[in-house]
Amino acid sequence: MPPISRRHEASSWVTLALALAALPCFAAPAPDLGTDQQRQAGKPLYDRHCSQCHGEKGDGLGVAAPFLSPKPRDFTSGKFKIRTTPSGALPTTQDLKAIIRAGMPYTAMPGWPQFNDRQLTDVAYYVKSFAADFADPDRQPEPIQSPPVPAISGESIGRGKKLYEELGCARCHGETGRSDGVAAPTLTDDWGYLIRSADLTRRWTFRGGPTRQEIFRAFSTGLNGTPMPSFVDALTVEQRWDLADFVYSLSPRDSPEYATLLVAKKVARELDLAEGAKLFEEAEPAYFPVIGQIMQPGRAFHPSCNGIAVRAVYNETDIAFELRWNDMRAEVTGKNGPELAVAAAEDEGDEPAAAPPAAEGGGGWGDAEAAAPAAEPAAAPADVWGEGEAGAAASAAVPQSEFSDAVAIQFPAEKSLTIRKPYFVFGDKGNAVNLWFVDLAKPEPALYVGRGSDSLEPLGPRDLTVTRGYDKGEWTVVFKRRLRSQGEVTFEEQGFLPIAFSVWDGLAGERGNKRGLTNWWTVYLSPDEKPSLVREMAKWGGLAFALEVVFIGWARRRAHNSAGS
Amino acid sequence: MKLAIVLAVVAVMVVLRLVRAGLLVWLAAWWVGTYAVLRYGFVTPIPASALHIFMAITALSLFAYATSSRERMRATYEPVLAFASESRFTLPLALVAASIPGVVAWSVYQGLQQPLQPPYFGRTVHPSPPAEITSRGEKVDLARAANPFRNLEKTDVQAFRRHVENGRRVYYRNCFFCHGDDLGGAGMYAHGLDPVPANFLDSGVLPMFQESFFFWRIAKGGPGMPDEGAPGDSAMPEWERMLSNEEMWDVILFLYDDAGYRPRALEAVGAEVAH
Ligand code: HEC
Ligand code: HEC
Ligand code: HEC
Repeated sequence: MPPISRRHEASSWVTLALALAALPCFAAPAPDLGTDQQRQAGKPLYDRHCSQCHGEKGDGLGVAAPFLSPKPRDFTSGKFKIRTTPSGALPTTQDLKAIIRAGMPYTAMPGWPQFNDRQLTDVAYYVKSFAADFADPDRQPEPIQSPPVPAISGESIGRGKKLYEELGCARCHGETGRSDGVAAPTLTDDWGYLIRSADLTRRWTFRGGPTRQEIFRAFSTGLNGTPMPSFVDALTVEQRWDLADFVYSLSPRDSPEYATLLVAKKVARELDLAEGAKLFEEAEPAYFPVIGQIMQPGRAFHPSCNGIAVRAVYNETDIAFELRWNDMRAEVTGKNGPELAVAAAEDEGDEPAAAPPAAEGGGGWGDAEAAAPAAEPAAAPADVWGEGEAGAAASAAVPQSEFSDAVAIQFPAEKSLTIRKPYFVFGDKGNAVNLWFVDLAKPEPALYVGRGSDSLEPLGPRDLTVTRGYDKGEWTVVFKRRLRSQGEVTFEEQGFLPIAFSVWDGLAGERGNKRGLTNWWTVYLSPDEKPSLVREMAKWGGLAFALEVVFIGWARRRAHNSAGS
Repeated sequence: MKLAIVLAVVAVMVVLRLVRAGLLVWLAAWWVGTYAVLRYGFVTPIPASALHIFMAITALSLFAYATSSRERMRATYEPVLAFASESRFTLPLALVAASIPGVVAWSVYQGLQQPLQPPYFGRTVHPSPPAEITSRGEKVDLARAANPFRNLEKTDVQAFRRHVENGRRVYYRNCFFCHGDDLGGAGMYAHGLDPVPANFLDSGVLPMFQESFFFWRIAKGGPGMPDEGAPGDSAMPEWERMLSNEEMWDVILFLYDDAGYRPRALEAVGAEVAH
């Protein structure tokens, strides 16, 4: 094996000797590096399953790395996000095994539940062999005590909210936790890449897991290598639980509960867009997963948006759709369009080593895939939530993007709820789609007929109207149209229609094909009155009974006749 | 499949055989048995609308069978008529007559309680390929073409490994987002896709086809499928727009190599076509 392991062997002997010498005075844990045999057993597992991302040398430079964000961890750095140990400390072997088994949601880091305990141990020891720090007797990690979990209550949530405000979490995470803090666009990790502060209203995306214990752990230990600080010294255990309860309460539910069907609710009144959210009060929201457009050139491997919440209402004449999604910052200048070209070079990913992130003041989100600014390593916690103005100034330093935010709904141009729908990426030659598009820098929506992403034709002005609002990290856009409109998709009561969405984040340079999108899902226009249960049961039960009577009567008469004859 | 359900159904059939049940009982047993297997026999349940279609087909076939000869017809309807008219059956008849509307009302209740489901269109997962395609200007005869780098396995092992390694690079820069880093189909975007990405570890995928079949699927993607494959829904990209032909053949080598399968031999396919 390569020199690394020899070095480790030597140092582990030294460590062992040191540890033994030190034993009588204080019981510092000895480096836990596993046996040679374990590390050797871990290597083939690592080479086969991990090296394509983390690199054969553990440096994070695997073949997939240019296409990933966040980047695969560089194990030689010794920096790990999810630990039970204090800020800046190394993880324990147990920590590594846990995160390898669970994976990190909404990143390329998959979970490995298929590994058995021995395999996990072997691969964790092999991962440890990449960073010399693990063998350093002075750096042996000691887990932070994890206290028993108290019950969650309205009071604890209230107290947590106050702490959240006092501690300045909002600077990064935003007032309501939607990752829209003033400092959010400026955050970078220790490797110089731009990093998003977690969206606290979507706890299923947390790298370390969504439970209260895991949230508690996140700000007790901090996430090494990222701007996310540890609050273990600033807060008592009770305060940290209060904060955990508050963060926990920000998400509507445990899991995203992705929908496949949107039910449009029928209402008796006028669809007055001035009513805002009240208009959609009675409608069930459907939350659809948004993924990267990686089907066609101009790919977005990691779009900013990962889900869109939709509600719909209709009456005798009109239909309205409300679209809501989280966005770090509203980009309302500049331009956007579904047909804008994306340079071929942007499709190629970025070699982290070959092209070290360029320090270009602020605006790195524009080509988040290409390069990230590395002005300085991430600010120390004290800087970040110490004084008030620095963050706002920093955010202003990230200029408005050349591209604005935008969103679109897509329907098949002809009603086609069959196995042969138009291609979900803007249609195909034989099967057109209608695109309701709005560039959020422009007052008016635009309509397109799509026959493929290279063949989008604008439709003249139509009766489509749109309202929009951006509030605390959330865009709300409402489209309204007549149920019937010449040359476009028609909506019918009790009808099912395919529906799909696209979302562009201008700040990340998303435009044209580079965007987040959804597969086809379905919208259903439910009738205003649900059939009454009892009436339906009586109707069909009665019919069955009547048929029986007729049949028995006929059978008896027949038997009677044949007996008679 | 849940084996217990299937075995239970088979056991009932065996018992019926032993007691020499009449045709009518057999028809009923087939219908109920099919229902039980379809409805409860699968780990991931079949959508209700598909189940209805399958059961309608079953009923039609049973009807066709029962009416296919005079004896069969008589064997079916005579017991029914006897049951409805002979006085010794009056009590059971009354019970049945009372319970059928109850069952109907119950199933209407069940149907209305069911959450609303979008209509379901069963797609053909492996539609038949065209005879020939043109990928990046090169004609490929799908019935005959072999992977141009497959023979290196025997003639030049090092060159072969280089192609596999290149395939691995292609896979982890393009495919794993959907098909997963372990080839199991659960990539980081799989949760947003319907149909779901193919699982290459499944023994029904790689070993069942020749490499040229996958070359077609990779070069032409979802949009290249005939209608029964639901080409408008499949997120499988048309890779000829982003990869060279060599890269596509290489990624196929990698898939077989990593999943540990062998492509189906040409002769085996030929033999089946000849049948
Ligand atoms: C498809 C790419 C990919 C593969 C394969 C992969 N990883 Fe990762 N891994 C990542 C990415 C990306 C991150 C960083 C996620 C983040 O920072 O949020 C990561 C992070 C990690 C971390 C750091 C966790 C922490 O707390 O910071 C460990 C440990 C890790 N991976 C181990 C492994 C092991 C072991 C394997 C193989 C069994 C593996 N990874 C396979 C992409 C991958
Ligand atoms: C300097 C900016 C900053 C401040 C201040 C900050 N965070 Fe974070 N936080 C981040 C970043 C960046 C991440 C995402 C790290 C990642 O994805 O690797 C994060 C992630 C998180 C997570 C998710 C952890 C996980 O498992 O993914 C939680 C929960 C969280 N922060 C809560 C808080 C709370 C509560 C506060 C205030 C007490 C706070 N943060 C203060 C930047 C910050
Ligand atoms: C955007 C997601 C996505 C990406 C990226 C993707 N695929 Fe697919 N792929 C799918 C889906 C979904 C299916 C299943 C539907 C279908 O058969 O078209 C599929 C099916 C396939 C099939 C057909 C399998 C069968 O059972 O017949 C092959 C082969 C395949 N993919 C290979 C690849 C290769 C090789 C790559 C990378 C070069 C790749 N895919 C990238 C989504 C994707």
